[in-house]
Amino acid sequence: MLQMSSQTALKSLGGAAVVAVLCVLPFVIGLYRLDVLIFLLINIIVAVSYRFITLTGEWSLGHVVMMGVGGYASALLAKKLGLSVWLAMPLGGLATAALAFLLAFPLFRMKGFYFLIGSFAAGEAIRRTWNHFRDPFGGPGGLARIPTPELELPGVGLIDFGDPRIYYFLTLAVVLVSIVVFYRLEKSRIGLTLHAIHWQDSLAESVGINIWRYKTLAFCVASFFVGLAGALLGHHITVVNPPQFSLAIMLYVLVWVIVGGTRTIAGPIVGVTVLSIVDERLREFQEYRPLIYGAILILTMRFLPTGLEDLPAKLIGLGRRLRRIRTTQTGS
Amino acid sequence: MRNGITRRRFIGTTAAGVALVGTSLPRTSFGAEKTLKIGFLAPLTGEVAGWGLPGLNGLEIWADEINAGGGIQAGGDTYMVELVPYDDEYLADKALRGAKKLVLEDGVGLIMMLGGSDAPAAVDFFTKNKVVSSTLLPSDLTDETLYHMAPCEVHPIYNVTGVEWLAENRPELKTAAICAQDDELGRPSVATYLAAFEAAGIEVVYQEFFAIDTVDFAPVITSMLATKPDILCLDTAYPDFVNFLTEQAFLQGFDGQIISCTFDFYPAVIEKVGTEFVEGFVFQFPDFDDPALNEPHINFPNPNGFFTAYEERYPGTWSAVSWEYAAIAVQWKAAVEKAGSVDPMAVFEAMKAGGRAPHVFGDANWWGTELFGIDNALVGDWPVVQIQNGKAVIVEYKSIIDWWAKHKDLMIKHFEALGEMWYQRKA
Amino acid sequence: MEVIAQTTVNALYASSYTALMAVGLALIFGVMGIINFAHGNLFMVGAYAVWWLYAVNGWPFFLAVAGAIMVVGAIGLLMERMLFRPMRDNPLGGLIMSVGVLFILEVLAVFFGLGLMKHVPPIYPGSVVIFGIPGATIPWQRLVVIGAAVLLLGTLWAFLRQTRLGWALRACAQDREAAALQGIPINKFALLAMGLGAALAGAAGGVMAPIVQVDPYIGHKMIVTAFIVIIVGGIGSLEGAVLAAILYAFFHTWVTTYIGGGIATTLGLVLMLVVLVVRPTGLLGTAERG
Repeated sequence: MLQMSSQTALKSLGGAAVVAVLCVLPFVIGLYRLDVLIFLLINIIVAVSYRFITLTGEWSLGHVVMMGVGGYASALLAKKLGLSVWLAMPLGGLATAALAFLLAFPLFRMKGFYFLIGSFAAGEAIRRTWNHFRDPFGGPGGLARIPTPELELPGVGLIDFGDPRIYYFLTLAVVLVSIVVFYRLEKSRIGLTLHAIHWQDSLAESVGINIWRYKTLAFCVASFFVGLAGALLGHHITVVNPPQFSLAIMLYVLVWVIVGGTRTIAGPIVGVTVLSIVDERLREFQEYRPLIYGAILILTMRFLPTGLEDLPAKLIGLGRRLRRIRTTQTGS
Repeated sequence: MRNGITRRRFIGTTAAGVALVGTSLPRTSFGAEKTLKIGFLAPLTGEVAGWGLPGLNGLEIWADEINAGGGIQAGGDTYMVELVPYDDEYLADKALRGAKKLVLEDGVGLIMMLGGSDAPAAVDFFTKNKVVSSTLLPSDLTDETLYHMAPCEVHPIYNVTGVEWLAENRPELKTAAICAQDDELGRPSVATYLAAFEAAGIEVVYQEFFAIDTVDFAPVITSMLATKPDILCLDTAYPDFVNFLTEQAFLQGFDGQIISCTFDFYPAVIEKVGTEFVEGFVFQFPDFDDPALNEPHINFPNPNGFFTAYEERYPGTWSAVSWEYAAIAVQWKAAVEKAGSVDPMAVFEAMKAGGRAPHVFGDANWWGTELFGIDNALVGDWPVVQIQNGKAVIVEYKSIIDWWAKHKDLMIKHFEALGEMWYQRKA
Repeated sequence: MEVIAQTTVNALYASSYTALMAVGLALIFGVMGIINFAHGNLFMVGAYAVWWLYAVNGWPFFLAVAGAIMVVGAIGLLMERMLFRPMRDNPLGGLIMSVGVLFILEVLAVFFGLGLMKHVPPIYPGSVVIFGIPGATIPWQRLVVIGAAVLLLGTLWAFLRQTRLGWALRACAQDREAAALQGIPINKFALLAMGLGAALAGAAGGVMAPIVQVDPYIGHKMIVTAFIVIIVGGIGSLEGAVLAAILYAFFHTWVTTYIGGGIATTLGLVLMLVVLVVRPTGLLGTAERG
C-alpha cells in the first residue's frame, strides 16, 4: 500500500517535471525546432487516440483520414462560414466523432482483417471525396489560407495564435487534456469492459455486454480527439489537402504505436517521440526515412514485440538475470 | 544517373554524420570566403519529380560554373554559391516545413519553387517573413504575394502561342479534345487552352480531368477518341502522363495532331511509338542545343554549351525545367551584381526595377496585375516547339502580350469559369 | 460500338493484372493468415527487375520476366523465413512485418533509380485490330499481359487441383489448424504460398513494366485495387479473387470511360463497402477469419 502511493507520487512528480520542461522549452529553442515540437505534440494526440481504438481489439487504417475530417471540418467552418476558430476546432472534433458514429454501423459488423481493410476503404473513399469535389473541399490542392486563431483579451489586447510560441501552448494544453481523458476512461468501467471485450468477446457478450456499443463509444471518443488534432494541424500550417492523410501517413502512425507499444498510454507517446527525434536527427537523410522506419519496425517486432515501453523492464530483468548468474557463480 | 546517386549519397552521408554526432558546426567555415545560399524547394521524388530533379541538375551545372569562375561579386565581397535542396514531394505541408527549414535554419537568400499545389502555405510564410522566392507557375501569385515572382516560366499563359501557331499553320484542324490531371497545374492550363482554342476558332469537343493516381491511361484516351477530335490536347499533364497518353493515342490508332504544354523525355516515347507518329507534335519547351537559341536577343549564356554539359552529366534526364531554374539564377546573379548587395530585398528590387528585365527569350515586362493580381510575372515572347524528324525544334517565337491584347476577355472568362482567377484562388 | 469494344478490351487487360495481384495476395492470406502490405511493392520490384535486365542490359524480354519472377519469389521466401515465421502466433505481427518490408523496398527503389520514372520499351510496338472493328485495338504488350495472366493462373489452378502438393496447399488455406493436425507441415506450405504469391506479383510487375510507371511509388497504386478485390472476393478465396478482379476491373474501366476517371476508384470503394455490409465476408468468403 505504502509502496503504491509512493509510486503514484513518483509518477505525478515525474509528470510534473515533464510538463515543466515542456513549458520552458519554447523559450530556449529556435523557431524551427519549435515548429517540429508542435508537430510532435499533435502527433502524440494521434498516437494516443489510435491506441484507444486498439483497446477494442480492432486495428483501424482510417485513423489518419479521421484526423483529416477534423481538419477539413474546422477549416471549412472557419473559412467558409466565418465561424470563430475557437468554435470551429471543437466542432471539427465533434464532426469527426459524428462521422465515426455513422461509420461504426458498417465497420463494426466486421472483425479482424475485414475491419482493417474495411476501415481503410471507408477512409480512402472519404479522402477521394475531398480530392474529387473542389466545392467545398478544394480538390487535390485542398484548402489553403485557413485562418489562425486569435484572442481578444480585455486589458491585454489581441493575441495572435499564429505566433508559434502561443500556438505551442494551445497544442500542449489539448495534449494534456486528451491524455488525462484517455487515462481516466481506461481506468473507468468503460475501459475495463473494453479490455474484457478485447480478450473474450463472446464471453463478454454472453454476460450481457453490448459489444457494438462499447466499440462504437471508443471509436467515437478516439475520433473526436484525432479530429481535434487535425484541426490543430490545419490551423497551424494553414493548409489541409488529401495527400496529408494518405495510407502512407497512416502506416507511419502504425509504426509509432507498434514501436512504442500499446500496453499502457505511455507506449505510443514514447514511440512517436523517439521516432520524431530519429527523424530530426536524420533530416538530411530524408529520402531514407522509410528505410529507417522499416528497419526499426521489423527489429522491434522481432526483439521487442511489446514495444519500447517495456524496454526498461526488460533491461532490468536482464540485469537481474546477469546478477543472479554472477552470484551463483561466486557461490559455487 | 550514376553521377546523381553518388553525389546525393555523398551529401547525405556527410551531413548525417554531422547530425548523428550531434554537433552543430557551421558547415561553411573554410577561409574568408562568403557563401550565398539558394534554397531549392521542389519535388525531387514522386510523380512531379520530372519538373524538380532535372531543374536541380541544371542549377548545379550553373552553380559549379559560377564557383569555378570565382563566384559572385557584390559590394566588394566575393560570394560562393551553395545550393540547399529540399524535396517537398509536391505537398503543401511538406513545402511549408521545407520553407521554414531553409529560411530559419539555413538562411537562404532566395528560394526557388516549381509552384502550384505545393505553394500556398509556403508562399504565405514567405510574404510574412519577407523572403524572396521564385516560381515557374504565376498561378501562385495574388495581390498579397509581394516577394514571390515568376521571372522565367509564365505557366500556363504561353500555351496560347502553340495554339495560335497551329491555327495559322494547320487551318484545316477544327476540333480538339483536352484532358489533364485535376490539380493546380492542370486546371489553369485547361482554362488557357480553352481560351486559346476559342480565339483560334477551334471547337473543343471533349474536356475532362482524370485522377492523379491513374494507372492505366487507355480508358482516358478511349473516351477522348470517341469524340473524333482533329487535335488531342494533353494540356499540362505530368511528364510521365504525357508519355503514356501519347503512347495510348498511338496504340488506339489516333492519326491527328497532338499539342501539349511539355513533351519531356520524348526520346523514350519515340522508342515506343516511332518517329513518324510524333512528327509534328507541338509543345513549348526547346532543347537547348537548338540553333534558334543563339540569336542575340536570348538572355542565357551559351545555351548550346549548357545543353552539352547537361547531357554529359545527367544523360537522359533533360526536361522542360532543366534550364529554367538556372535561367532564374542567371537573372538573380545579375541583380545581385547590379544591387551591389546580397540583401534579398535589395536584389529583388534590382530585379524589378524599371518594370522591365532580361527574360531568357528576350527582354520582357513585369506584368500580371489583371490575371494574377500582381505584376510579378515577367512576360514577353515564348517559343513554339515542334518535333521534326524526332527532334525538338523551335519553329517560331510568338508574343504572349500581343495575344493578350486581342483576346484577354476570353482568357479571363475561362479562368473565371474554372475558379482560377487570383481573387477566386484567394477566397 | 467502337467505344464499347475498346472499353471491353481495356477492361479485359485490367482484369488480368488485377487478378494476378489479387490471387497472390489471397493465397498468402489463405495459408498464412497475413495481409501482405508489401505486395504492391513486390510488383514494383518485378517491374524494376525487368527494366534493369531487359531495358538496360538487353536480356530477351521473357528471360527478363523470368528473372523478375525469381528475384521477387526469392524476396517472398526470405520474407516468410525471416520475418513471418517468427510471428506465426501473432495475427497482427505478419502484417506489421510486411509494412516494414514495404518501406524498405520503396527506399531501395529510390536508390536504384532516383526520383524519375524508368522507361521500358515494349517487345512488340503497335497494336492489333480486334473483333473486326477498325476503331478497336489491343496493343501487343497488353496481349502479353493477358496471356501471362491466363497462363500463370491456369497453371496455378491445375497445380492446386491436380497435384497432391496443391491439394495439401488448399487444405492449409481452408483450415490451417486442421491441416496441421493432419500432419501437413505448415511451415513448408507457408514458404510455398509466399513464394508463389510473391512470384505472381513479380510476374505482373515484369510483364507490365513497359506499360506502367516504373517508379518507387507504383506499388501504392496497385495495392489499393488489390485490397478492394480480395475483400470483395472474400479474403483467402482464390476463385473469389479472380471473380472480384474481373468485376472490379470492368466496373472501374467502364466508369472511367463513361463517367470520368476522377471518381472511378471512389465509386469502387463505395461498392466494396456495400458488398461488405450485405455480406461481411465477401462474395465467396465462408467464415470470418483473422
